[in-house]
Amino acid sequence: MSELFDLNLVVAMVRLSTPITLAAIGAVICERSGIVNIAMEGIMIIGAFFAATIAYYTGNPWIGMLGGIVFGMLFSLIHAVATVTLHLDHVVSGAVLNILAFGMTRYLMVQFFGHPGTSEPIPTSLGAYRFAVPLLSDIPIIGPVLFNQTPIVYLSFLIIIFFWFVTRRTKVGLHIRASGEHPLALETIGVSVVRIRYISILTSGFTCGLAGAFLSIENNTTFTEGMTNGRGFIALAANISGGWTIPGAFIGSLFFGFADALQLRIQSLGFEAVPEELFIILPYVATIIAVAGLVRHSRAPKTLGADFRIEQSSD
Amino acid sequence: MTNNQQPSSSVLYRRGVAIVIRVLLIVATMIGVVLYLASNFWAMALIILMPLLLLFHREHGDIAALWQRSILPFLRTITIPAIGFTTAFIVGAIIMIITGDNPLLAYGALFYGGFVKNWSISLLNAVPLIFTGLAICFAFRAGLFNIGAEGQYYVGAMVTAALGIYLDIPGFLAIPLLFIIGGLLAASYNIIPTLLKVKTGAHEVITTMMLAHVARLLSPLMIRNFGGHISSPHPLVTYEISERLWLPLFSSFLPNAYYRLHTGILIAIGVALCTHYVINHTKIGFEIRAVGYNRRAARAQGISVGKIYAVALLGSGLLAGLSGVVEVLGLNHKLFENINAGYGWNGISVALLAGNNPIAIIFTAILWGALDAGGQYMQRNVQTPNSIVEIIKGIVLFLLVAKYLYTFVFQKIRRKQS
Repeated sequence: MSELFDLNLVVAMVRLSTPITLAAIGAVICERSGIVNIAMEGIMIIGAFFAATIAYYTGNPWIGMLGGIVFGMLFSLIHAVATVTLHLDHVVSGAVLNILAFGMTRYLMVQFFGHPGTSEPIPTSLGAYRFAVPLLSDIPIIGPVLFNQTPIVYLSFLIIIFFWFVTRRTKVGLHIRASGEHPLALETIGVSVVRIRYISILTSGFTCGLAGAFLSIENNTTFTEGMTNGRGFIALAANISGGWTIPGAFIGSLFFGFADALQLRIQSLGFEAVPEELFIILPYVATIIAVAGLVRHSRAPKTLGADFRIEQSSD
Repeated sequence: MTNNQQPSSSVLYRRGVAIVIRVLLIVATMIGVVLYLASNFWAMALIILMPLLLLFHREHGDIAALWQRSILPFLRTITIPAIGFTTAFIVGAIIMIITGDNPLLAYGALFYGGFVKNWSISLLNAVPLIFTGLAICFAFRAGLFNIGAEGQYYVGAMVTAALGIYLDIPGFLAIPLLFIIGGLLAASYNIIPTLLKVKTGAHEVITTMMLAHVARLLSPLMIRNFGGHISSPHPLVTYEISERLWLPLFSSFLPNAYYRLHTGILIAIGVALCTHYVINHTKIGFEIRAVGYNRRAARAQGISVGKIYAVALLGSGLLAGLSGVVEVLGLNHKLFENINAGYGWNGISVALLAGNNPIAIIFTAILWGALDAGGQYMQRNVQTPNSIVEIIKGIVLFLLVAKYLYTFVFQKIRRKQS
């Protein structure tokens, strides 16, 4: 048991939960404003691809990270136009965008690297910029877990705090929440629901693009087709099981990160008797259990997934 | 007693001739379909021409009436799809020009490959897509989104591959049996999402998607246990199923047919017709549609929404499972890792493109299959990467589902004019 559970497992948990955390925060903001975003999987893969490609061609992972964010936001803009301006069903739009995203990355992969599958490794990954925060990293347990990490992990901590503050303590946050609960009331006080929802979807594009960049240029040095492996959906589950709140989504993501870390750890220990596939599915099973067990105790935003047309609002 | 209600013999004669003409035309259409399926491309002309003649006959040879009542409405319904496709192909051409490919050459190869040269492959591609499209459509009609059809497809394929190795009974018994067992087990794979949806309200998009990943990731385990051992000559592939269980090939009775084209396409079309019947002409189908249109109104009418959700999700799982069964029995005869992943996703496209109409799904699936087959032909012959097809498909889909786009553009134009 002691070789299974140690400090490294906790470090791995935080690291592996980072992409899920980032996407889950995007999901919280997006769903709080009333938009269902199942396109997150696609936004992530777009972010991962452009981060790796730009990092590969410029040789600078930081520009790659920015590229991932920018293209993630651009791609999420399509979801915004489709659901808010064109009144398309949110789930349909999300599914279509996922299909589009996987097709696009497959095509561009051939264009930029000359072959499908996995890209050439980038010269330096963001993982090389791992640094320990002085003093804080000396604290036992918490120090190595939280303060000896790589850049995007730190960034995700800042993003958690920032968006937690925004949703709870600022006017914009209030408007985002109102947009999901009672959009007509928000429109009545002179705030554009359309604008709030665009901002929210772009926020999820930002976080998912960053999450994609984490996958391809921080946790890895290459982009692989389909490397998101359902993390966008897991993030959605983290958001739901976290009760549509930022801290809840973070804890939910840590749970999935733990399942992932545990799975990798068990695989590396190599039990002969049990096939490894039974452990690989652990994060997915954990997701189902979490959604099943916890969804009852929380309440979704009231108009989540509903279309908003001011001229047709009846109440 | 006068017998004035009895029609005169000349009227009877004319009616008889009319019936004979119709029957002949319908038979000609069917022959066209069979010939088309069996590798005679130009039989498509029969398929198009015969219904036209039938309509022409029904309108008593009045071309103006035919145009007004049949052709014009048809043209109207295909206007938006036509615009969507044209736009998508233009966007695709722009992308190709930017990345340095010749769009004219590429599109020429795409259509020649997809619809003329390799269209048996198009039909072959369409078979599983029809099933997964129907699966998505069936759940969609009840307002549910079975995004994890891929998982149920895997279950169907795994069950068939496993049982097919050991089942040693004649094909006419075993094939229906495998369809039933594979379908039912794939449907039962949806029991967990169904229970969670009905009991706790957990969204089926997340649960079915996660189960799809589980099925995909567990398939190597199953493959290892049924022949794909590291020490065997073909790792990651199961043993082949016994030859008695293969679906009959078209080439066994039509010598011209492509050697891999199997009769699964006929089963797929049959299942599509059945699904159409169930959705539109039965009580359960009515209840499914009622729940899909307005859940609360349906509940007020005394329809049990939970029951309908269960029927829709399990039925959807069944249809997706049949897709895996038919793929193993007809085409691959074995299971390998990542056996053509993506049918679940493409099924979503096919169903959305068809507007969740089971009959239209047959055609959109063939279209999607043709784009895939043409894409591969294009890649081989003019070296344009076939994933451009994926982009075009994505754009087409987006332009077709975003129906409000056209209203929006139209309003903008009108506002500018006034």
